Amino acid sequence: MNYLISHPLRVAALAGAHLELVAVALAVASIVALPIGILAARHPRVAPWILGTLGAIYTIPSLALLAVLVEWLGLGFAPIFVALVVYAQFMLARNVFAGVTGVDRAQVDAARGAGMSPAQVLWRIELPQAMPVLIGGVRIAAVAMIAIATLGGYVGGVGLGVLIFNGLTLHQPQMIVAGSVAASLLAIAVDAGLRAAERRAAV
Amino acid sequence: MNPASIRFDNVTVRYPAMDRNAVDGVSLAIAGGELVVLLGPSGCGKSTLLRTVNRLVPVDAGRILVDESDVGELDPVELRRRIGYAIQAVGLFANMSVAQNVGVVPSLLGWKRREIAARVDELLELVGLDPAIYRDRRPSALSGGEAQRIGVARAIAARPRALLMDEPFGAVDVVVRTALQRELVRIVSELRTTTLFVTHDVEEAFRLADRIVVMRDGRVEQAAAPFELFDDPATEYVRRLVHAGDDVYRRYFARGRELLRAP
Amino acid sequence: MTAPALSRRRALGLFAAAPLIAGCAFDPSAIRVGSKNFTESFVIAEIYAQALEGAGMRVARLFNLGSTQIAIAAMQRGNVDLYPEYTGTALIDVLHLPPIADPAAAYATVARLFKQRYGFVWLTPSPMNDSQALATTRAIAEGKGLTTLSDVARAAPTLRLATIQEFLARPDGLPGLQRAYGGFQFREVRTYDIALKYRALLEGKADVASAFTTDGEIATDALVVLKDDRHFWSAYNVAPVVRGATLSARPAVARVLDAVSPRITDRAARTMNAAVEDRQADPADVAAEFLRG
Repeated sequence: MNYLISHPLRVAALAGAHLELVAVALAVASIVALPIGILAARHPRVAPWILGTLGAIYTIPSLALLAVLVEWLGLGFAPIFVALVVYAQFMLARNVFAGVTGVDRAQVDAARGAGMSPAQVLWRIELPQAMPVLIGGVRIAAVAMIAIATLGGYVGGVGLGVLIFNGLTLHQPQMIVAGSVAASLLAIAVDAGLRAAERRAAV
Repeated sequence: MNPASIRFDNVTVRYPAMDRNAVDGVSLAIAGGELVVLLGPSGCGKSTLLRTVNRLVPVDAGRILVDESDVGELDPVELRRRIGYAIQAVGLFANMSVAQNVGVVPSLLGWKRREIAARVDELLELVGLDPAIYRDRRPSALSGGEAQRIGVARAIAARPRALLMDEPFGAVDVVVRTALQRELVRIVSELRTTTLFVTHDVEEAFRLADRIVVMRDGRVEQAAAPFELFDDPATEYVRRLVHAGDDVYRRYFARGRELLRAP
Repeated sequence: MTAPALSRRRALGLFAAAPLIAGCAFDPSAIRVGSKNFTESFVIAEIYAQALEGAGMRVARLFNLGSTQIAIAAMQRGNVDLYPEYTGTALIDVLHLPPIADPAAAYATVARLFKQRYGFVWLTPSPMNDSQALATTRAIAEGKGLTTLSDVARAAPTLRLATIQEFLARPDGLPGLQRAYGGFQFREVRTYDIALKYRALLEGKADVASAFTTDGEIATDALVVLKDDRHFWSAYNVAPVVRGATLSARPAVARVLDAVSPRITDRAARTMNAAVEDRQADPADVAAEFLRG
């Protein structure tokens, strides 16, 4: 804790970089996961395969995946960014699937019967009503990614992980504690903020 | 406006999970402006048959012709915008206001904003709801009866030449239902819309129909005017169906319906 | 079309903007400074980084990379632009050549060969020489008459050695000493974590410990460094090693770092190492203080 008090600006700067990394990875991950989730929703027979595969990927230990990515992409920002995007897919796509398929089937039937194209049904009826669940998925993914992003400190990335891994190498537990506490606070704040957004998105 | 004719030509629909056809070689001709009721118990294929008209259900054999055009060769999305559709669960879009719900098909057809707004108000009044009060309400703030009226309004908003209704009054109490049925007959005859109406309720069928099509196990048992069914049932099944309950009551309503439709 | 508070259009807009924001934040024009995974490497890399920042350049820190092999690989892949390396380490671990005790000769060799093989440039080295050593307590040194490594080589059978795993494996560790001096058959050899090694010595659990000449712990009167009388150990001067491409694009890097390197002496290094290891100081603070003078 002492490090947190003695170096507030440094911790804040690292926390800012951490948040930025997670936010950008989350944005890209969402863009990738949205069509995947919609595909699963439109093809229920294939859905278990899609979501199952993503779930299997999620269980790969983060450090192992990161090591492979470092082999391909080198050290720095790239491997941790890709790892975050990959891990987030499971949580995001699953929630897109659940949100879209959870929309009242009668409304979807009425929408089709009224002459909406599949794209219009998605855009006008399914996605707006799935919003709370989608945001819920983003919230869950964000919190998980804040934790996973700390591994960035191991591969020359940015964020609070740098503090944690430096602390490990330099045998300075205060740094480790400061990095961990800051990451936890970040996760709590992000969770609370997205919960509020989730509530406001409810129809 | 000319109401559309609807013709079923040997239509068959197969569902893989069933051991018989859901709809089995049904042929039926419906003239423009007719209000035809598909009557039968649950599982008889009436809803399935209804939904082949707007291609929500694909057919495995046969054709459906609307104004002698095979619907299978038309763009399904465009087709549906020209055919009204109302279902038992109503399915009002929860993320839109009543006005937006009612105006959805006109909006899909590209009507101007002001045209849509005027039409919405007109329709709300038609179904007995004050536009000023209901226009901006959300579906969650409606009673069952109000929702079903708005469902009907939505279905006829774009002045469709054909109207498909699947037990649209099923989920309300009998008093409201009777009122809605009376209004439907009025609306449909004013609009001159060919209407295909699905129900399992024999009395409702007698109250509404120009002709009743009795269905069982995917096939048509008999298609005839209500009185004919009554006086001259084609099969034992039809006879039992129509004569169950109070004969006199049924006769009265059948006659009343006929009087309503006098030229 | 009424939309909920987080409208779909706004959400889409945010998502589209994110990669742009990312591009600005993760600055491709920043000079990437690396470090290996021990205290001194951190401190010196921080000095380099802050010196460059002081000259107005943007710096990205990729510290804690790991071993020398990882650092070199990172440089080769272009993930890192420069990092602090030791002439001795370069000679023995990277080029697989025998040690050279003379600092100037060692530097000349590695500078030439790194340029040839990797296209990496060695900038001006620091006087600081982080070579290996053996240390003992003042009490034991006086008690057993130990001043040189030859003394220890002879007296080894009566002494207990505290060391780290690497010392037993590397060619210029114990095996090399045994070959160069003969003897060095210790009564007992125990490996410790690098942070606990000196404690074993000070608590009387060991008599001799392997060391680095800039270790902060040695800066105390209680410990004595034994003289390498046969000049077995290589010079280990630190210098910035920079990718050729980076230097061509940013020649100012050489000017800035060449001005700083001469100031890093043995004494400065020990003081800084001690601050980080004993007083738990942040290497960034220590480096800043050093640069202020």
